[in-house]
Amino acid sequence: MSEFSNALSVSSSGLKAQAARLRHVSENISNADTPGYRRKTVPFEATRDMNSDVETVKVGRVHLDRTDLAQVYDPSHPLADQSGHYEGSNVDLMIEIADAREAQRSYEANLKMFDQTRQMSASLMELLRR
Amino acid sequence: MFTKLNVFNLASAMATHAGTRQALVSQNIANADTPGYHAKDIKPFSEVFDDNTQPGDMRASRTNHLNGSSGQGMNWTVSTTEAGSDPNNNSVSIESEILKGVEVKRQHDKSIAIYKSSMNILRTSLGRN
Repeated sequence: MSEFSNALSVSSSGLKAQAARLRHVSENISNADTPGYRRKTVPFEATRDMNSDVETVKVGRVHLDRTDLAQVYDPSHPLADQSGHYEGSNVDLMIEIADAREAQRSYEANLKMFDQTRQMSASLMELLRR
Repeated sequence: MFTKLNVFNLASAMATHAGTRQALVSQNIANADTPGYHAKDIKPFSEVFDDNTQPGDMRASRTNHLNGSSGQGMNWTVSTTEAGSDPNNNSVSIESEILKGVEVKRQHDKSIAIYKSSMNILRTSLGRN
């Protein structure tokens, strides 16, 4: 039984981590046009709990992408400098969409394993009936 | 058959094996995007069982013998795959983990079916059907 609870806890940690990643991806996408916005990246870490022997996944400190901000040419923009450029965000929509897809795929895989573990433990409990 | 009830031991060892492997598969899938994580696995049950019942191996002939063939002394060491194939040194492939998960589920269902039908035989022999 403890193997099943280990499996459930590690699957739910995966679900949580992927949801956090998806949340930051949507944050990046919604700020794609905010001047001076730097995209956030979410690092994943494997951590080992004190009382169980499985490695759950944990979201580490959120980092800001250090790549240069895009220079957008728009002399009429209030933030434009002498040359007519202002600093946009360094969000690349293509990368964010791909990241969101990968997060969704991993989320579904975790959910499937969670459901399967639940079914297995339910069928084990079924033995005690009658 | 009614002196040792080896079928039950075997079925429960098979179910325990499936549970352990399920936990590892879940762990691999949860860490599918963790940099530097390497996929973990244990040997399939048939191999573990064959290893355990080789000729010349110690066999448990009494209940207080260790390392018997009743499922307690089986070699369930966790093995880790070596290098990761991904750029972030992660070696988990979600596809193969899902397939492994299906295999584990079928093994668990099988062991529970064996347990149930053996239980039914016992019940029938007791006349409480």
